[in-house]
Amino acid sequence: MSEPVTLTINEKQITVPAGTLLIEAARQNDIRIPSFCYVKDLTLQAACRMCLVEVEKAPKLQVACTTVCMNGMVVRTESKPVIEARRAVLEFILTNHPLDCPVCDKGGECELQDMTFKYGPGTSRFIEEKEHQPEQQVSPIIFFDAPRCILCYRCVRICDEGMDVKALEPIGRGVKTIIGTGHDTLDCEDCGNCIDICPVGAITSNQYRYKTRPWELKYFGTVCTHCSNGCKTTLSVRNNEIIRANNRDRTGINEEFLCVKGRFGFDYVGSGDRLKTPLIRRGGTLQPASWEEALGYVADRLGEIREHTGPDSIGALGSPRLTNEENYLLQKFMRQIVGTNNLDHRRTADYASLEVALARNQKPEALLNVDQIKTAPTLLVIGDDPTTQQPLVAFNIRFAVRRHEARVFIINSKPVKLLRQAVASLILKEGSEAALVAYLARREGSTLDKVAAETGLPGELIETFEKELRASSDVAIIFGAEVRGPAIHDLVDFGASLAGITRYLALSDFPNSRGALDMGVVPNLLPGYAPLGGESASARLEEVWRGSIARQHGLSEPEMMEAISTGRMKAMLLFAANPLENPSNPLDRSSGPALGATLGKLDLLVVSDLFLTETARQAHVVLPAASFAEKEGTMTNCGGQVQRLQRAVLPPGEAKSDLDMIVDLARACGALNWMHGPWSSVLKEIALVNPGYGEVTPRALLQGGIPQTTLAASREALPDIADLNALAESIRSNRSRSLYASGSLALHSHTLVQLEPRAAVQQDFVERYQM
Amino acid sequence: MNLLREVVDASVALVKGYGMTLRHVFRPAITENYPDVLPKFEERYRGIHELQRDENGLEKCVACFLCSAACPANAIYIEAAENTEKERFSQAERYAKVYNIDYGRCIFCGFCVEACPTDAITHGHKFEFAIYDTKDLIYTKDMLLVPDSRKEKGRKASDQAA
Repeated sequence: MSEPVTLTINEKQITVPAGTLLIEAARQNDIRIPSFCYVKDLTLQAACRMCLVEVEKAPKLQVACTTVCMNGMVVRTESKPVIEARRAVLEFILTNHPLDCPVCDKGGECELQDMTFKYGPGTSRFIEEKEHQPEQQVSPIIFFDAPRCILCYRCVRICDEGMDVKALEPIGRGVKTIIGTGHDTLDCEDCGNCIDICPVGAITSNQYRYKTRPWELKYFGTVCTHCSNGCKTTLSVRNNEIIRANNRDRTGINEEFLCVKGRFGFDYVGSGDRLKTPLIRRGGTLQPASWEEALGYVADRLGEIREHTGPDSIGALGSPRLTNEENYLLQKFMRQIVGTNNLDHRRTADYASLEVALARNQKPEALLNVDQIKTAPTLLVIGDDPTTQQPLVAFNIRFAVRRHEARVFIINSKPVKLLRQAVASLILKEGSEAALVAYLARREGSTLDKVAAETGLPGELIETFEKELRASSDVAIIFGAEVRGPAIHDLVDFGASLAGITRYLALSDFPNSRGALDMGVVPNLLPGYAPLGGESASARLEEVWRGSIARQHGLSEPEMMEAISTGRMKAMLLFAANPLENPSNPLDRSSGPALGATLGKLDLLVVSDLFLTETARQAHVVLPAASFAEKEGTMTNCGGQVQRLQRAVLPPGEAKSDLDMIVDLARACGALNWMHGPWSSVLKEIALVNPGYGEVTPRALLQGGIPQTTLAASREALPDIADLNALAESIRSNRSRSLYASGSLALHSHTLVQLEPRAAVQQDFVERYQM
Repeated sequence: MNLLREVVDASVALVKGYGMTLRHVFRPAITENYPDVLPKFEERYRGIHELQRDENGLEKCVACFLCSAACPANAIYIEAAENTEKERFSQAERYAKVYNIDYGRCIFCGFCVEACPTDAITHGHKFEFAIYDTKDLIYTKDMLLVPDSRKEKGRKASDQAA
């Protein structure tokens, strides 16, 4: 890097790194230069001319957004010519702007309104008729109003550079220019980033259209709970109803980004199908009951079953949809009060093996989080399809390529959209990722010829790929569920042989997959990946919990299903779990019957969920749960970043959070020392038993921080590798899902269901590109 | 002597008093015969609001929420909705589906009228809202909206024809 430069802006001497743009230098020093088209991190446009400033010795006014700071520059941003120029620019921008602010959805949060108010002329000298074009609906969720557009090209650039979709482009010339789609409809990923980034009301959302005004709303910053990336989403609430979701202050780990699910997929919360009261099966049908009745019934039945057939005939499934606190309390309830380790949840990534592999290799700093992708110099993406399953990860990968010229290597069994950013790729046979990783790690018995045959790739291709990869340093490895169990150990060994610091990120489905594992909702691991047999961890838990816990290994989800069919398992508690759902295609209900008959053998099936799911229909007791927008708690994203859910609306009817439900159930079972505390008190207890959560304090979260978990597994007491590999067997990938699906909740989101057929359009993109 | 003076003084006072009465008998009366005769207010009197219609009979209100934003007493509640091809209420894309003013809160400051960009809300001259239940002080849109003059004319014409 060359020397920093010193310049003067408005008589103030400032020093900035060489290459800084004038507009950035000014903003860093609290000098406001107005602009429309300039957006940090997107390419420069200099289209709006709003940022004109006076630079001494320059013959004319200069645009601050493309002028690079130079030593000794003298800049004035508030001189008379500048003020006049801004006024003229605004007058020009407003020549064709319709001034329908009272009707426009953007009114109240419009940048053009604010700018005109602050810098504008107030009147116009134009008396000519304004150019008018009718408003168009370009996609099921996006409306485009051409006359309102001020041609700043922000939407064009975010769509091209940020999303790599290129659905929007300027069409026509001069005063007739409009932002168009090339044809009648907008073929895109429906992310809606163009709505947020538009400084005026030219691009508006169908969901929010003409419903209310921005100052009428209350805003709650919370976490999107559709995938494991954990984007911040701000819910706009009026009359206890969520009207829209966006990231209006562009903070959080996702900054300006939100995908279709985060922006439009919240509407299941207000669905009329939500469960409102507890239901108990009486005479073959589910009938409404009170909470006392329902929980009393469950507690009585659990007590009877426990007495007759022992605690190991009871099992529970937690969920990656529940908060850390809820999952933690669930496993505490099962281990302490019921006295069994029959605990599991739907696992979609092997965090346990990653933790243990890193702990064995003593690489505590090797966990990659979602933010760090942006600055990684080299990225190796194995498996998964980040574009559809992990939109923020894909967005950040594209960011790294765009801004830092990162080199992306891709290993996948299908042609994915990210290939467009890749410098090298291997498209191998499905299921052969582990073989390739074993070869890269030079595992014994793995030769080039063998791996070439297994992956169906020519040996030279693998060799050149590996050579290229080994020439890079500080590699960030991002992998999906294809790499699990032993393959993760191979991957970490391979990473250790690369130059610099290699870091790892496992991609999972569902918002709190990592948290559920961190909390130990598995049959053979305690919170913090401590082995069940390990005396120190169990003893510490017993000390914190003030009670003994079950020591023998429990059953995993498939084992529990088998135990039910053989009659060993008598009772199941399912919290936000829906085992009858077909994981790859929730719309397909055909996987149900066989497993449904199995569940029918249970003496007691308790289901807590938002909706009457396939599984809930078979239950003896159904408990209505609160959604993510109706409860408080924390979620851990796939990169180990912990964020807080904020309650934005009240739950419908008598529904309550799973946290309250589990405490109530424990008290009904006689554990009167279980008290209703806020999420923060549970989080404090989690930090006591999970060393990875040492820095995750309620204080840090309440101050708006995003604390990072650290490696929890300790080298002294590592779980048995065989146990972990057994767990890895039952990981179920959801990779074949489309961008619009995220389990049983998205089925109840009107918007996502409506958009689902558009998944074919995206597949078409990828294929067209391949051609 | 004193008696005589008292008699004279009393008579003078009587004449003065009756004189005043007599004078007022011929002046115009200032007593208002409310409620038999309704009072006449100045043009700018701020009474119960009226939601106006345009020359085509459509509602002028486009549900921009500026009145409710301007309202210092937080008395105005609006829910907006979009006009459709079939049902058109206002000229622009949006109209007020619900428009309530809570006269238990309203302080008749006129800020809403001032804020309205389409001159949809104005102060009328009605002022009577004594009721038994404060809930009845919430006026809904159908109570505030002026009748459609074209429909009204149409009805009168048809009445006369009948």
